[in-house]
Amino acid sequence: MAWERRGGNLYYYQVEREDGRVRKRYIGAGEVAEMIAHADETIRRTRAERRERARTELEEAKGLALAGAELHQAAEILARAQMVAAGYHRRKGEWRRRRSA
Amino acid sequence: MLELTEATRKRIRELQELADKAEGGDDGARLELRRRLREESPEVVAGCSDSARSYRRLLAERSSGGNPLRKEAISERAGRMALELAGENPTPLEVLLSERVASLWVLVELQEALLAAWYYKANATSPTFVLQMARLQESAHRRYLAAIKTLAQVQKLQGPSRVQVNIGGNQINVSR
Repeated sequence: MAWERRGGNLYYYQVEREDGRVRKRYIGAGEVAEMIAHADETIRRTRAERRERARTELEEAKGLALAGAELHQAAEILARAQMVAAGYHRRKGEWRRRRSA
Repeated sequence: MLELTEATRKRIRELQELADKAEGGDDGARLELRRRLREESPEVVAGCSDSARSYRRLLAERSSGGNPLRKEAISERAGRMALELAGENPTPLEVLLSERVASLWVLVELQEALLAAWYYKANATSPTFVLQMARLQESAHRRYLAAIKTLAQVQKLQGPSRVQVNIGGNQINVSR
């Protein structure tokens, strides 16, 4: 969003991106333009805050999942060791008992 | 104390190496693995179980949104689930694996709730974020199902010829 000075007056333009190209749309000058600019700024700020909140939530969710990853792996190793010690082996992802065990 | 101690990590690595050799057909390694599991695994498993309980508490805290009553309720429910899954006279490993299933259940529930909230405000949230969250949730769900399956396999070693685990609509059957 931008104010541009032309001939001593300020004019408000909305800048939008459309099909990869930047397009400027003339809104006007004076009190109404100021109100629209204020509304645009509020919308922009709200969107930025939402994006930031979403980013934080995503980071937290990733952190929580990651925090349990080592434990998950350790439990898998211990369970596998137990199965192997009992004479099992994996075949196509399934545990089978060894004949010799 | 969420992270494993260095000593526990070292023992787990050693057990993994022995399991690799034993699974490759080395009978000597299998005998050594049995001995190590008999002598050392209770301590290693206990260390992991402590971490699993800490993880469950952390997840309950995050899921509760700061509400102590809700935190207690989630923690209690997950604890009961772990007890129920472990069954009667569980081995330390079964306790650990049950704790893991209960923790992952809380994680899956938490991520589903987050994802649902994001879908609800879909027009206000970038699709990229929703997609990333969906991937994270899918990965947690896969781990959850894998954890149930592993528990059922280990329980099958101990007891009855057929084990059936039902949790949240997911049923895993393991038969001999």
